[in-house]
Amino acid sequence: MIEQALRGMSRTVVRAGAGAMLLVVSACGDSSTAPGGENEVISRVTLTLTPPSGGGALSAYIDDSDGNGPTAPSAQVGTLALVKGVTYAGTVKFENRLATPAEDITAEVQAEANEHRVFYTVTNTGVTVTTTDVDGQGRPLGVRFNTAVASAASGSGTVRVVLCHYDGAAKVATATSCAGETDIDLSFNFTIAP
Amino acid sequence: MLNTSWVHLRRAAAWGVLVAAFAPVGRAPAAQAAPHGATRHIHGIVEDDASGRPVGGATIIVEASSSARRSAPLRFTTSSDDKGRFDFRDLPAEVVRLQLRALGFAPHEERVDLTSADRLLTIHLSVIATRLQDVAVRADTLPERLARVAATSTLDAAALAATRGQTLGETIKNLPGVAVIQFGPSIAKPVIRGLNSQRVLVMNAGLRQEDQQWGTEHAPNIDSFEASSVTVVRGAATVLYGADALGGVVRVDHAPVPDTGRMHGAVALNTFSNSRQGALSLSAQGADLLLPAIGATGYRVRLTSRVAGNGGAPDYYLSNTGFRELNGSVALGVARSWGTAEVMLSRFGTALGVLKQAHVGNADDLQRAMTTPPTDSAFTYRIGRPNQEVSHTTFRTRVTLAAPQASELEIVYGLQYNHRREFDNHGPLRFRNEAAFNLKLFSNSLDLRWTHARWHGLKGTIGTSALAQGNQTLGKAFLIPGYDLWQGAVYAQEELALGRLSLTAGLRGDAISQTTIAYADQGIRSAAGTRVWRDVSGSFGAAYLLADGLDVSLRAARAWRPPTVNERFAQGVHHGTAQYELGNAALRPERSHGMEATLRFTRPFLQLEAAAYRNLIAGFMYLQPSAPVQTIRGAFPGYRYAQTDAQMRGVELSSTWSPYTRLQLRLNGTMVRGTDRLRGGPLFDIPADRVMLSSRWQGSRARAGAWFVGMGAQLVREQDGVPEGTVYTLPTAGYGLMQLEAGTAGARWLGRRLDLSLSVNNALNTRYRDYLSRYRLFVNDAGRDVVFRITMPF
Repeated sequence: MIEQALRGMSRTVVRAGAGAMLLVVSACGDSSTAPGGENEVISRVTLTLTPPSGGGALSAYIDDSDGNGPTAPSAQVGTLALVKGVTYAGTVKFENRLATPAEDITAEVQAEANEHRVFYTVTNTGVTVTTTDVDGQGRPLGVRFNTAVASAASGSGTVRVVLCHYDGAAKVATATSCAGETDIDLSFNFTIAP
Repeated sequence: MLNTSWVHLRRAAAWGVLVAAFAPVGRAPAAQAAPHGATRHIHGIVEDDASGRPVGGATIIVEASSSARRSAPLRFTTSSDDKGRFDFRDLPAEVVRLQLRALGFAPHEERVDLTSADRLLTIHLSVIATRLQDVAVRADTLPERLARVAATSTLDAAALAATRGQTLGETIKNLPGVAVIQFGPSIAKPVIRGLNSQRVLVMNAGLRQEDQQWGTEHAPNIDSFEASSVTVVRGAATVLYGADALGGVVRVDHAPVPDTGRMHGAVALNTFSNSRQGALSLSAQGADLLLPAIGATGYRVRLTSRVAGNGGAPDYYLSNTGFRELNGSVALGVARSWGTAEVMLSRFGTALGVLKQAHVGNADDLQRAMTTPPTDSAFTYRIGRPNQEVSHTTFRTRVTLAAPQASELEIVYGLQYNHRREFDNHGPLRFRNEAAFNLKLFSNSLDLRWTHARWHGLKGTIGTSALAQGNQTLGKAFLIPGYDLWQGAVYAQEELALGRLSLTAGLRGDAISQTTIAYADQGIRSAAGTRVWRDVSGSFGAAYLLADGLDVSLRAARAWRPPTVNERFAQGVHHGTAQYELGNAALRPERSHGMEATLRFTRPFLQLEAAAYRNLIAGFMYLQPSAPVQTIRGAFPGYRYAQTDAQMRGVELSSTWSPYTRLQLRLNGTMVRGTDRLRGGPLFDIPADRVMLSSRWQGSRARAGAWFVGMGAQLVREQDGVPEGTVYTLPTAGYGLMQLEAGTAGARWLGRRLDLSLSVNNALNTRYRDYLSRYRLFVNDAGRDVVFRITMPF
């Protein structure tokens, strides 16, 4: 009852105002929740490692069903079983699969290479990651990289992928960690075949 | 005989000093010039000087002379009862003339100053031709409807001209019981008795300011030059003001549109060295506009612009903390025999930067930003990312219909449109000019208030209030969902005067309906739904005049507040703290029960107000630290809206002492304790204990006007009440700041009147971080600031 009365009263308020100002037209209950533009959401990160001899590439990805939302990222899908003594050519792919059609954010990162860098941190001493691509000013980018597995390497480990976005902070070629804003921070598991 | 003349001499001297003190000589910042419409009481006792017995049947006449607002003098008459008592109610707040005649006694006449307080007089009559002795008079102030029972402080026009800060929040931050949450120089959010945001209501020109006030980084969108006075009511004032006033009210009043006189105006210029801010405000007003079918109409137009660059800490500039404001307003009004009518259209627009270091991607970035010394950024007026662009448009119509015996019907309709856009330095290049958060808030409000004349000792206000509000969420990122809000309320507040005792009681019923609109995009989901809350708030207060100038009051208040949309549905990272905030749709309303006691002592040379309060808030809504939130961008400290039972306790003191006419010493102090009664331990964001000391040397010269020089210190104690479970080590150290000031009001220069002041804030360039500063994790607060203010009427 009270709600009804209240709604009636408020409509009167709105009507009373309608004569006073055109703005009121947009004030009458036109309360939409509409996303405008597009957010930079990344929902999937994929690592692909291709052996020099060709043959089957290794690939694994991690999904986050709500992007920047509070649900934790999924477990890694696909395994990275590295072979001793092999140097893989690696690529990383960032995608927004929440949009339809899915968007490839990697292209954005490459287009804004001066503002981005991908850092790789490996826990196993037998595995080394070296970036192979550079931005417009000759500083590392990290979308392409080499993964070298020493012949003495063994066991397993993780590689942490950090996509760093430089805006206020300067991008320094020799940096070993992100000094800008972190867009992605995920760790992939790998094993080294005995 | 000798005795008599000595008494006369003493009285004459006292009057001379008193007149000097109240002449427009260096008004103290908090001196309460009576605002338009304030009323005062005189309570008196007539006694036979020789025997001390009451004198009944004496005729007492009070006269108020004519003024700009009143063409004819006012005259009130009463007579004393058989106990010698008499009462005058609802007198104008000015100096009045009191005359007393009683058979067999010498006639008595005196001037009674009602500008700042009610008076309690004991009048001693001498049998036939002798003297009149000490007159004890009491007075209580009524610049605010609640002023007789609640703790309030007011900055009047003169005080505002001398203390106006970079923003509205900065202007009031030195009042007792008030602190600010500050984001550098550009954003200052008032905190009253430890509560802020949706618990502090800001009233602007009689309208509840609806500007997404739930966000701590959303400062009140008000041009501080528009204010003719700012009043802060400490403690729950929900009966008159609505559910948001659970913690207190900041009331910004505009001067009424003039109803007589030709065009005149003022130019005000303020400069601030710290951010190299320049602020210019031009206003013109008059009552000589002739409109067809309406006739003589009063008008006022105002244009204000502020431009500020990066704020400066003692060792470096705070990168990207500049701001720009452009505000304008037009008001038209008529005053006729039936009452007054006023329309006003105003627009406030600001573009402001947010400290670069405070914008972080995840918790690791935050850690790095906190541990890396601030980069020495150069000074610039340029505003980069992240930034905010906010505009607030208000249309207001106010009609008052006068009825006999000073009763009045007031109708206020307000339309407010708030457009808030926040840009971050994120996002793909092609969308970088799209706001991350883009909120449009439309509010329609209608208020009806009937203030009735005194009737069987009762005087008060009965009113209804309605609000229809719609919010659109349009940005790239999710902050809060779109919603519709409907509110309706009925309230009454009455004051009963029983001689020295005044009782005030108020009751209000509210119904609030909140309908949220579904949001589903990019994996974020927020549900649609309608919730309705109804509840009652009330207050009861008693004020007693113990002796002339000494007043005690007690007040109990019950208040409630439903959860706001952000508390129910927030979902996202709060930049600056890397907090992942999660709303809780199931929150219940919070209810507060508070008690407060206020003691006021008002004498020409000593004014003192002390207040103590205890406020229990059941279901207090707050952000509770919870498990870290894992996202694809890394880990964030998680915070979830939760409820607990809170207790707020505190004391406030404000005092002014003038040992000599030329010297004025002031002492203000504030202490607040907030406790979580369920889990134990302190609450978050409680201001540290603080004391303000200042001294002023003042005088008056024909050409120099009412001049003053002064110095002051602000001493802030270490905040030792920090809740456990915060992930950051907050700076809690105490600090002391020194201030210097000099100025004059009413100086003459080239035949013009000038008000000038120069003040230096943080004169010693002290390095400090306030516990409530939101940039405290990254940078020091502002360093020395030399402020120059000039106002020139024309």
